[in-house]
Order: sequence, then structure tokens, then C-alpha cells
Amino acid sequence: MIEVKNISKSFNDQKVLKNIDVIFEPGKISMVIGKSGSGKTVLLKSVIGLHMPDEGEIFFDRREFTKAKIKFKREIRQEIGMVFQGGALFTSSTVEDNIRFPLDLFTKMTKAEKQKRVDFCLERVNIKDAHKLFPAEISGGMQKRVSIARAIVLNPKYLFCDEPNSGLDPQTAILIDRLIREITIEYNTTTVVNTHDMNSVMEIADNIYFIHKGENWWNGGRDDIFYSDNVELNEFVFASELYKKIKIAVK
Amino acid sequence: MKLFTVIGQYLVLMGNVFTKPVRRTIFFKRVVDEIEQIGVDSLWIVSIVSVFMGAVLTLQVAINFEAPYIPKYLIGLSARDTMILEFSSTIICLILAGKVGSNIASEIGTMRITEQIDALEIMGVNSASYLILPKIIAALVTFPLLNILSIILGILGGYFVAVLTDVVTVYDYLFGLNYVFVPFYVTYSLIKICFFSVIITSVSSFHGYFTYGGALEVGKSSTRAVVYSIILILLFNLILTQILLT
Ligand SMILES: Nc1ncnc2c1ncn2[C@@H]1O[C@H](COP(=O)(O)OP(=O)(O)O)[C@@H](O)[C@H]1O
Ligand SMILES: [Mg+2]
Repeated sequence: MIEVKNISKSFNDQKVLKNIDVIFEPGKISMVIGKSGSGKTVLLKSVIGLHMPDEGEIFFDRREFTKAKIKFKREIRQEIGMVFQGGALFTSSTVEDNIRFPLDLFTKMTKAEKQKRVDFCLERVNIKDAHKLFPAEISGGMQKRVSIARAIVLNPKYLFCDEPNSGLDPQTAILIDRLIREITIEYNTTTVVNTHDMNSVMEIADNIYFIHKGENWWNGGRDDIFYSDNVELNEFVFASELYKKIKIAVK
Repeated sequence: MKLFTVIGQYLVLMGNVFTKPVRRTIFFKRVVDEIEQIGVDSLWIVSIVSVFMGAVLTLQVAINFEAPYIPKYLIGLSARDTMILEFSSTIICLILAGKVGSNIASEIGTMRITEQIDALEIMGVNSASYLILPKIIAALVTFPLLNILSIILGILGGYFVAVLTDVVTVYDYLFGLNYVFVPFYVTYSLIKICFFSVIITSVSSFHGYFTYGGALEVGKSSTRAVVYSIILILLFNLILTQILLT
């Protein structure tokens, strides 16, 4: 469980996050939604310490993280898997080496054990025959999957995904969403996903946090969205004709 | 005021860089990779530039020393000392600042904007140390060797001039090379290049590491890396010469 208490963050006088309070539960997918530029990425990066919040506290299973020493932060980070928006694969290493990297650094596995684990993770995200390719040589969807494989290689307790299906076609996007769902249930990870894609939300969200202008504007479950009369939420969710029709149908 | 902030930022970064590596085997592999990228890949440019500069230096000195009362061996001597004192350390490093420095800044800058550095951090890796320390060490290992190579090739370039033209005889040139040789000049040159190695790699890494934005900013960081490296090399050249030679 991750508890985020009263987090604020500014960049040169621009208040990006304003007193955010959220709780991310294990075995569940918490989705942070909001317009581009609303502060989703900054929230995620503040939670894992890539940005230092100006105020507030964050607890990873009751362990205070924000003010902890960097050495302790690094220990907790080894329990975190993160899928970055662009994949953030190491461009100078092969697919296989990208995934092996955390194993090389933090485990005492033998070469064979590592290979087995790498193969398992790649299998898990449905990648075959790409072990020796470089990130530039595979498609965007595959890069995302490799990125997920790398994120889960050390059996993380916490999984963060920043717009995991941005730039993917709808079918591939759904595959990625389902993969995240399966992994969350299988390993009981505390999963946090940033997105502005409503399909994704409807597909896999357990808890939804709508961020508006840096504030935690609305929380709820998947179905609550249809019955909320929060103006900004409605504007965001029912922007498209399709969702407008769905709303009418639901009602 | 901004200058002090930048220096402070640089020092904090270096504090993170000089920490104990996570795994010795991985660290060793990183150093070997960097030695190849930073050192071995610079062999050609250093070699070509040194041979030609040695040749041209010898020609020019020979032409300027036409007067009969100036002993001809001074040509070999001055070619030798110019290479050792200034060319093979300072000028070579100005060239390496352009080649290696821009390379380092754009590599690290790209890693920054594509979130690869964040990815390292989130794995619990000290990204500064992991990325930068091997580069500094690789430069400290290879640049002094490039310095020696440059001295030898420069002198060889002069030798070719002695052989192929009649501005100076081979005998005079070789005599000059051996005339009052000051071994400390080589030490001085090596000390300088060690400082320059650290300047080029750390300053360029610094500019890459603190890149924000997109491809355009990576280009800007890369240019800044070269400019600042060159200015610092020239400044330290002056300081070190003052300290070591006077
Ligand atoms: N490192 C930074 N420095 C300055 N401003 C930033 C930085 N990162 C994000 N911002 C600003 O914070 C706001 C929220 O950005 P972000 O969290 O990336 O939005 P999104 O919800 O699309 O992920 C934007 O206005 C952005 O310009
Ligand atoms: Mg974002």
C-alpha cells in the first residue's frame, strides 16, 4: 500500500501539484487520469522520488520515503517497477540485456538462472524472437512490452506505468492493459497507471483519481463515473461522441 | 550569481559520481566500453593531426631559422619541445573536447530526455556514478597514452620533413631531438592532460546530465559542453603552466 499525504510540487512559481492525498492499494489498479499537462507524470515521479515534493509525505507500506536517505530510497526503489511513457529502454543494449540489467545489478543469480528469468519475463509479455534485437529495431508496442518485462523482472511490489498505451493502436493498447491487469492480480502488486485514455480506464481501473489543474478533483470506481455530476470530470470523460452515447445508454 | 549555482550543481554531481560502484564486474565492463569509445575511437584523429602538425611545425621553424648563424639543430629541438609542451597536451585536448565532449553530452542528454536516466534511478542505480565515473576513468587511462602517441607521431612528422625536403638534414634534426632534453617537460605534459581528461569528461557529462526538453536542447547541451570544456582547458593550461614551469 502506498499512502500519499498532502503532496505539493511547484516548478518555478507554477504550482503543478496542490495538496494531493491518495492511497494506492495492493492487488488493485489505481488509475490517475486527467488532461495532458494536468500533472499526472509529476505526481508519479514525485511518488517515486524522481521529483522532490515541496511538502507532504509518502509511505510505502508504512515506510516513510520522501525524507528518507538516498541509500534507503534506493532499497525501496528495488521493489518498484516502472514503465515510462516512452519505454525508456536502454538504446545501446539488446532487448535481452535490458531485462537482464536489474538482475546483474541486484541478484546473485548464476548466468543460467538469469537467462531463465529473462526468458520467462519476455514470454510473459508475449515476446518471442526479439531477444537479440535493439530497441530501435522493434515496434512501439513491443518496446512497451519489453519495458513491462523489465519492470517486473525483480518481482516488484509496486508497479508504476506512465501512459503505457499512448501511441499504440487500440488493439495493442488493450493487450497492454490486460497484461497490466494480469500482472497486478498474479503478483498482488500495488499498481498505479497514468492515462488519459478512457478505454483503458473502462478496461482495467479499480480506483480512479481524476487530477484537474494539479488537484485531486474526483475519486471513485469505474461505474461511479457515469453517475457523477462533477462538471470537469464529465467534460473530460465524455469529450467524445462515443462516450456521450454510452452515458445516455447507461442512464 | 548564476555561475555559483552552476558550480555548486557541478560539485554536487561530482559528489554523486565519486561513490563506490554497485558491482565491480559491471563497473569494469563499463570502463572497458568507455575506453573503447573515448580512447580507441580517438586514435585516428589524434594520429593524423599529430603527424601533420609535427611536419608543418618543422617546416615553419626551418623556414624562419634560415639565417646562417642559427644552428640547424634548433629545428629538431623546437619541434620536439613544442609537441611536448603544448601541442600534444593542450591542442590535442581542444580537439578531443570537440570530439569526445560533444559525444558524451549528447549521449547523456539523450538518455536524460528519453527517461533512461530516470529508469536507472528507479532501479535503485546511482545514475551519475554509473554513467559518468567510467567515462572519467577511461579518459584518465587513455588520454595520457594518446599524449605520448601524439608526441611520438609529431616528432615523426618532423622527421618525414627532414627526409623528404632539404630544409633540414636528417642528422641535424635528430641531433636537435636529443639536444638538452628536459624529461620534466613530459611529466608536465602528462600532468596537464590528466587535468584536461577530467575537465572534458566531467564538464561534458554535467551538461548532458542536466538537459531538459527535447532534441534541440540536447544539441545545445552538446555545444555548451564543448565551449565550457575549451574555456576551462585554456584556463587550467595557464594555471598549471604557472605552477609547474615557472
Ligand atoms: N521538470 C519540469 N520543470 C518544469 N516544469 C515541469 C517539469 N515537469 C513538468 N512540468 C510542468 O508541469 C505540468 C504538468 O506536467 P505533467 O505532469 O508532465 O503533465 P501530464 O499530466 O501530461 O503528465 C506541465 O505544465 C509541465 O510543463
Ligand atoms: Mg505525462
